[in-house]
Amino acid sequence: MNKQNTPFVNQEHNTVKNNLTIAVAGNPNSGKSTLINAIAGSRLQVGNWPGVTVEKKSASFDFQGRKITLVDLPGTYSMSPYTQEEVIARDYLVREKPDVIINVVDATNLERNLYFSLQLLELGIPLVMALNMHDEAAGKGFRIDEEKMASILGCAVIPTVATKGEGIGRLMETAVAFADASEAHRPVVISYGDDIEKAALTIEKSLKDHPDILAGHLPLRWMALKMIEGDARAIENYKTAQYAAVAENATHHLRSAHGEDLEALMADTRYGLAAGLTREALQKPETRKRELTEQIDAVVLNRYAGIPIFLLAMWLMFKLTFDIAGPFTAWLDGVIGGPLSRWAEIFLTAISAPEWITSLVMEGIIAGVGAVLVFLPPIFAMMFFITLLEASGYMARAAFVMDRMMHAIGLHGKSFIPLLLGFGCNVPAVYATRTLENQRDKALTALLIPLMSCGARLPVYVIFTGVFFAAYAGTVLWSLYILGIVLAVLMGLLFKKTLFRGEAPVFIMELPPYRMPTAKNLMIHTWEKGKHYLIKAGTWILAISVFVWFGLNMPWGVESKKDSYLGKTGQIIAPVFAPLGFGTWEAASSLLTGVVAKEIVVSTMSEVYVPEAGEEQQEEAPSFGENVKEIGVSFAGAFVEAGKNVFSTFGIATMSAEEEEGTTGLKTAIAKVFTPLSAYAFMAFVLLYLPCFIVLVAMRDEFGTWKWAGVTIIYQCVLAWVVAFVIYQGGSLIGL
Amino acid sequence: MTLADLKTGESGKIVKIQLSGALKRRLMDMGVVAGTDVIVEKVAPLGDPIEVRIKSYALSLRLGEARQIEVEEIKKS
Repeated sequence: MNKQNTPFVNQEHNTVKNNLTIAVAGNPNSGKSTLINAIAGSRLQVGNWPGVTVEKKSASFDFQGRKITLVDLPGTYSMSPYTQEEVIARDYLVREKPDVIINVVDATNLERNLYFSLQLLELGIPLVMALNMHDEAAGKGFRIDEEKMASILGCAVIPTVATKGEGIGRLMETAVAFADASEAHRPVVISYGDDIEKAALTIEKSLKDHPDILAGHLPLRWMALKMIEGDARAIENYKTAQYAAVAENATHHLRSAHGEDLEALMADTRYGLAAGLTREALQKPETRKRELTEQIDAVVLNRYAGIPIFLLAMWLMFKLTFDIAGPFTAWLDGVIGGPLSRWAEIFLTAISAPEWITSLVMEGIIAGVGAVLVFLPPIFAMMFFITLLEASGYMARAAFVMDRMMHAIGLHGKSFIPLLLGFGCNVPAVYATRTLENQRDKALTALLIPLMSCGARLPVYVIFTGVFFAAYAGTVLWSLYILGIVLAVLMGLLFKKTLFRGEAPVFIMELPPYRMPTAKNLMIHTWEKGKHYLIKAGTWILAISVFVWFGLNMPWGVESKKDSYLGKTGQIIAPVFAPLGFGTWEAASSLLTGVVAKEIVVSTMSEVYVPEAGEEQQEEAPSFGENVKEIGVSFAGAFVEAGKNVFSTFGIATMSAEEEEGTTGLKTAIAKVFTPLSAYAFMAFVLLYLPCFIVLVAMRDEFGTWKWAGVTIIYQCVLAWVVAFVIYQGGSLIGL
Repeated sequence: MTLADLKTGESGKIVKIQLSGALKRRLMDMGVVAGTDVIVEKVAPLGDPIEVRIKSYALSLRLGEARQIEVEEIKKS
């Protein structure tokens, strides 16, 4: 962060530092997130770690007249990182040297948590342990001797209950006091036995002239131990490869004595110590009670009931996400399209703005703001439920139940949820991939999400099936959804063999105990995600909306859409679609605008096929008061609607599922230019070609690079073309 | 025998991990170290992965990895 070149050995023992950096580290599921929320609350800032897409939470605030910067490190099991999150946590601790580490430890799962604590202590940074979920441990009949732990480890141990805010004040006071008296910090030094210690000393001697160690950026003993362990990533990251020969020499006889398994030996030592410490400090009741978690799992993970329960949970989540969000989306849509647009128009007329400015503001900017905002309700709802699933502990079970199936196509058990959400709307689905820890799993899942037919594609299907397949509309609709799923499986297999070749990530996952999520935690996560989307993605979406407006309306004053940049582009690319059965500029232009949002394909078609229908009838302009009233009443209406949706069991109200009004003219027009076969090819094309650009922006936002959005654009265009080609040409061949 | 050979409810003591590199490292970090007791708690409804209790917490892993973890069965007395 803002710390520069803080000397490795703290030289400021006489002065009190005014700015303190406190890093919060701990195992996943240790309640770290709740603890951070309890300390920092609304002061928490969510961003990304530089260069990567892992969420970074930090907070700055005054405490006892000092400026404290609190940095939340991703959940970590070990200082030998396995996931990208863990690499970040380790690099931060090693390179940035926070003044104090708060190590959050799950008191109900002491041994494995202490294994990580012991590794943290090796960094030589003052450490305060938050012995969290103390109440839960007490409930199990655990008695933990904190003083004994503190004296053995050489750090402070403070019992906390983050969900209730207990012990938080004392924790912070101790952390600050520890930062001031860092000299007094004498952590336990793990002895790995004479042989390893001797080797460590030899390596330390030669490492001393390494520039990073000289500058205090790298703890000496820690690096020496990493070299003995043969931690390849550490050696590469910290550029100590040239010392490999020294390490090799120093550990030569060790390797011959212990085989190549020095790392196992060191892990054993640490676990031995963690186990010993647990025995010393923890008194457990003689007989272990069958815990609530096991009772729940007996049902939830039951051989026969497991899958039905999972499907029910997923159905509920899907339904609630989109049914709750739906009315609010409609409300936002109404407010932006109604009162807000009217006010803007009145204002623009009042200042006698040129016509093109009015058009730009109304159709470019306001429509763009609308495009940003309408996704906010489903993103809020999605994040709420994802957080709920994660915080309660069910997410891990969902992955456990589904892994076999998802693994078959190269995905992770947790991929199921983002893919499922994709049927409602691809945008929150892309954001939901954050539940996957591994970058490969995340990217692969995100690439397949656009093949899930979202609600916005439905209006296109509805029009075409209405015209050409009225007798068996349901079957045709279903076939499109199935087509998407089948292609997702095939593409998954293809990507697994090509783009994601190589080591597939494994599934080694903790099943944490079920816990009641706190309202505060849910609110903070949901709010932060929405805010992040508005700021990060919103800017892009707005810019692209304005760009699309240019395409549609420039050169200014064109009589027909055919002569706009969009129409001209449509004319140029139309031949590409000829082998697919719809090589007209009208179809091509509609597909181009469909990139804004797929349902727009329909409205563009209305405009280009039946231009006279596009003339809007002049409404009586409502007064200001009526406008305000409309906003309020419709908002209240949205609340009622959302509430009703929660309780109604029928009908999944996906966004924009209803057929657009006034499409009779369009229906007549497409009946003339499409055949049933080319109509089906067109629908398949709409299903498969690029997702709307909001999805692409979401991908960029989530991955911090345009790379995966780019891959999506290319593969989907190719796939859509090929599939539509096969449908049209194949169909023609067999005489359809 | 390997961890994958243990049936639900059976327990064993870990003898050796037949893997190498980062994967082995991760398993060890998660507590799968020689000499540790492990009990198979559950098999997922579709047959894979499995849930085991180790170091008093619940860990799930695929059979593919479990087959590489050598165990010694602990007979119930």
